[in-house]
Order: sequence, then structure tokens, then C-alpha cells
Amino acid sequence: MNTPLLQEILGNASRTDTNLDGSSSFKAQTLNFGLLDEYSKREIRRAILTAVAVPGYQVPFGSREMPVARGWGSGGLQISLAIVGPDDVVKVIDQGDDEGVNAVNLRRLIVSSTGIPESTTPEDSTLIQTRHRIPEDPLDARHTLVLQVPVPEPLRGVERDMRELARMHAEADYARMWVSLYEDKVRNGVITRTTGYPCLVNSRYVIATTPIPRWDIPRLHQSEFLSLFGAGREKRIYAVPPHTDVEPLTFEDVPFEVEKTPGAKCRNCASNNTFLVEVLATDVRQSYWVCSDSDWCRRHRELSDSSSQGLMT
Amino acid sequence: MGYAAARGGLQAIEAAEKLVARERILGQSSWLDTDQIIEKLRLAVDRVMSEGGLWDEQLAASALRQAEGDPIEAAHLLRSYRSTLPRIAYSTPIDADDMVVLRRIVPAFRNPPGPQLLGRTTDYTGRLLHTEDDDTQRTNAEKMAAYIQENVTNFPDNDDDKNHDRSSRSPRRLLELLRDLDSVVDRRRSDDPEPFDITRHPARPPASRSARLATMARAETGALVNVWYRNILGPDGYLHEITLGEVRHGRLPVRMLHPLTGDEITVSFVRVTEVEAIEDLNGIDEDRGRFDVGYGLCFGHNEKKAIAMANLDIACERDQGRSFLEQSILLTTDGLDASGFLEHLKLPHYVTFRSMMERKVAIRQHQEASKNLESK
Ligand SMILES: [Zn+2]
Repeated sequence: MNTPLLQEILGNASRTDTNLDGSSSFKAQTLNFGLLDEYSKREIRRAILTAVAVPGYQVPFGSREMPVARGWGSGGLQISLAIVGPDDVVKVIDQGDDEGVNAVNLRRLIVSSTGIPESTTPEDSTLIQTRHRIPEDPLDARHTLVLQVPVPEPLRGVERDMRELARMHAEADYARMWVSLYEDKVRNGVITRTTGYPCLVNSRYVIATTPIPRWDIPRLHQSEFLSLFGAGREKRIYAVPPHTDVEPLTFEDVPFEVEKTPGAKCRNCASNNTFLVEVLATDVRQSYWVCSDSDWCRRHRELSDSSSQGLMT
Repeated sequence: MGYAAARGGLQAIEAAEKLVARERILGQSSWLDTDQIIEKLRLAVDRVMSEGGLWDEQLAASALRQAEGDPIEAAHLLRSYRSTLPRIAYSTPIDADDMVVLRRIVPAFRNPPGPQLLGRTTDYTGRLLHTEDDDTQRTNAEKMAAYIQENVTNFPDNDDDKNHDRSSRSPRRLLELLRDLDSVVDRRRSDDPEPFDITRHPARPPASRSARLATMARAETGALVNVWYRNILGPDGYLHEITLGEVRHGRLPVRMLHPLTGDEITVSFVRVTEVEAIEDLNGIDEDRGRFDVGYGLCFGHNEKKAIAMANLDIACERDQGRSFLEQSILLTTDGLDASGFLEHLKLPHYVTFRSMMERKVAIRQHQEASKNLESK
């Protein structure tokens, strides 16, 4: 679509041929497979291995500056680029949507710097990078889920001093977290935590579940797939390996609640059993709901279309 | 269509990029050379190299042009370029006394050892905006250039070693004099620990002094000045105001061991700003009979940054982890971190917002239910 000149001008995101003379003062960067140099990839992979070995522990790593802003998925991108291989197929979503501009941009960076194929369907993908959602489809051992994390520290709301935070994690001293949940319940009648709900991993470390909705949290528990959490700005990587306990922090007599809106269903595919987001109309009465997982919705719309057509004939 | 506006995918992104390219490259004016940027916008280039953590005037100028003059964005371009490069060698430690000074002032003494060398500065130039139209300014500049050519001996070339003897270009430090007088607490250590590499390990409190200094050397200038000012004015504490012992701008050699011969060779030069800040110790447990010293050094000519750094260095040392000062320095002064996180607010957040809305409804339902219960 772009002319070669424009590609050269736009630089970073466009794949260019290797230019060995290096003399031109105005050339786009020559890109390594997966952008990062090999030493950096090795360092990130080592951090990932530590994270898998100690589920839920925030592993410090020498986060690199990426061609996207810190806060726009630079941590997830580093994980993806460190583990991606030529046989992978990548899917990238933002808010569950493959077409969100940030998802498009990150996918473009991964694909253009590796040449690997992309897909929107989890079934066809092996590497899924996401911001704020887990796909609705069941994932399995073929999949690695890479989550972009803005704030990896689950205890930040109860303690500001990083030295004290380190002690609390080291001693599994989560008392103040429990107290804050208790106070929340007493003051408000319900636990008001929204997304990024704190969870205990492998009965040891409390993690911030990025800001994925509570809807997605049960899917992390004893999952078939590996989840890797990358926080680029905060320079932390942590993991939930397959078949690992992930328990949302709550009380015996206060069941964990996922998002629900009685009566709501997707206008496109009629689902009432997916994470729905509201589309506001100027006249609020005309507002409606749609699935946040756009690819799941599209496939189920096609399914229901063809089955209803089948009924009519 | 509400959030649907955030969609549109690849075509929208490419259209935005083309629009930027068109306005920036096509425009109405002539092409902006990196040579011009390096020469005429020297301080901006220096700032980008310092905050980008990469000494390369050409690349920094190119980044500034590509970033349409935004220094944080330009520093981001440099840093992400660095991420693609393997680290193949380390330079040998440089002794800051090897600096050839281009400017050097010592506010603490009227007659310090060595010269007060004002050098290239606008410190004492009235901040009067040139408001003549651009043609007049250009004509004036051409006249000025001709005059300088004719009277070249009256216009010192600060960067020319011929005009200065060796001792005046590498003056003795005030600190050495104070040490001779036994007026300074001696915190020098005999072990030689490896410096903390902030590009390979995240620096978190409690951190080594080298981690703090490296963080500040790469910090965003405005952020560092702000941390300093907040700590002077009070919201974050009451920093002691230092007396400047040395403010230097000069050239330092970069040396490496030759991979074949093993000999030390000079491969390049960098310009740096270096500051030594003298602190009057007044704490109960401190040595009131002596001074202490804070240190600041950053790429390029950036005195604001180096002075803030030196004052914060000694403040951190004296604070001994009692306040949040070290955490503020390590965690809040990086330009890429702060601006990246701020800008991420522009990304769609409708999943998190939906989850918040759901809880609002749940809370209100609970409130109404308990109200009904009370009224019964
Ligand atoms: Zn749907």
C-alpha cells in the first residue's frame, strides 16, 4: 500500500532490506528478527523462565525501550518479541478487539519485524498478545497468552513505600490487603474492586490481574495455557503457568462476583454469556450491548445466521 | 458510534502517518539539515542525547526533526533505536579530571584555584526577544558574521586549545583545596564496586549511589528540576540549598581497550556538564565541622539538570532512606516512563470502564436495598 519512499520515511514500523553500506544519513532502521538484539531477547527469556518457575512472583528485568510508548504495551511487546519463532501465528487484541488501533499497531510491529502470519482466530493462533481481555474461546496448551500490564503491583493501593512492598511479598504478608477488602465490603455492602482484581497465585503470591475484567479471572485458574504478564515501564515480568491455582481474594461468605447485567445480550450475536460492553446512543434508551471479543462475536453471528437460515428453508 | 471511532484499523493509522509525513516533509519551507539543528539548536540536541542516553549528535538531530521538535519524543526515538543494537564492548572508566573545560565557574569562591571561565553562556545577557521581522534579523546576522570575520581576534574561539594553556583548560578542583584544608567529610571508598547498570536492571529503593546518579543523568530535565524544586519549597520536604563548588562544561575522552592489542585507545569525545555541590552539614548526627559534596554529571551542555542532580545526590545521601526522596528520583524522573504512561490514557478503556459502571450499579442497588430496609 505504501510507496517504498514512504516506507523509508515512516521508518520504524516498515520492514526494509538490509543496507550494509550504512553511509546514508537518512535511512530507516534495519530490523532484526523480532526487532530486539539477541542478547536482549535472551535476557528477557531468562526472566520469563524465572517467572514460570515462581508463579506470581514479579521478576525484575532490564526492560528495553520499544518503538511504542511505555504504557502502550511495551512490556507485552518485549515478551512477544523475545519468545516468537518463525512457526508462530500471532493474534493481538485490545479490549478484546483485533481492530482496535493499538492492537493493529502492535500486530503490525510483530508481523513486520518477524514475517510471521497473523490471525484473528484463537484456533489458528499460537501467540496471543492482549490488553484488558482474555479471548472468549477456550485456549489450550498450544497457546501462550501475553498480557500487557500497566501497574504490576497489586498492593500499591495499600502501601506506597517500595521497600515495604518488597517485604510484604517476601513474607506473604497480605494482611493489609485483606483489611482493605473487608473495609470495602463493610462500607459499601459489596466489594467494589472492578478490573485487575487481586488474586493469590499458587497459594503464595498476590498478583495484579492486569486490568482484565473479573469476568476473565476464572479462566486463569487451572488453565491449559501459559499466561505471561509484561510491565515494560515498571520493568517486571510475572507468569501464571498452566495448571496453577489462581484464587481471587474474597471471603468465605462473600462470593467472588463477575460483571453481570441482567437481561443484556449482544445485539450482533445474541450472546448473553460473554463479556458485553455497552454502545451508547444519543438517546440512552437506544443504547445496546455487544461482545467485547469482536472475533468471537463475528464467528457466532455467522453460526447463528446460517442456523437460522437452515431453519427457514 | 462512540468507541467505534477508535476502530478503523490499519488504514486509519497509515492515513495518520501520511498526514504527519506530508505536513512535516512537504510543508512550505526548505529541508531542515541535521547540521543546522546541531549548530543552531545545540541545547535541544544536547538535551535529547542526555535523556536518550546516547551520544550521537547526528542521530539526535535527526530524531528531533522526526519528532517535530518534541524532546521527549526524540529521546524515545533514540532509546528505542538503542534497543535494536547489541552491546559489544565497554569503555574504560574516565577520570573527570581529564576534562578539557569549555566553561567553568566556581560560585563558592571569588578566586578559586584555576580560572573562572565564563565561556559560552547567556546567563548575563538580557532576555530581550528579537522582534524585528525575519528578513531584518537575517540581514543583521549577515552583517554580524562579516564583522566577526574581520575582527576574529576579538571573538574568542572557546573550543580552540591554541588559545589556552593546559592548566587553565584542566583546572584543579575546589574540592581538592577543601580536602587539603580538611574541610570535607571523606566518603571516598577503597573498594571499587561495579556501577549499577540502569539499562539492564531496574533501580529500586534502596539503591546504590551509582544507580541514583545514572537515573538522574538520563532523567528528563524538567522532571528533575521539578523534584528539586518541590523539595526546596516544601511539599516533599525541605532540601538544603547547596553552594556550587564547580560548574563545568567540557570535553571528555571515551577510551576502550583495543580488541587485538589490548592497549587503551581514545575512540571518541563527549561533551558533559559536571557539577560539584557543597553542602553545609547541619544535622544532629552529622559532622558540623565539615562540608559534604554532591555530584552531578550529564551529557551535553545542561547546567539546570546537572545542578539539580548534584543537589539531589547529596540530599539523598543525607536522607538515608528516611523519606520518599530516593523513590521519587528513581521512579518518577524518567521522561519516557512518565509521558508514556500519561499518553496511554488516550487508549480505549471501555472494558475497564464497563466493569466500573457495573460496580456503580451494584453499590447503588445495595444502598437502596438497605434504605428500604431501614424505612420498614
Ligand atoms: Zn456478540
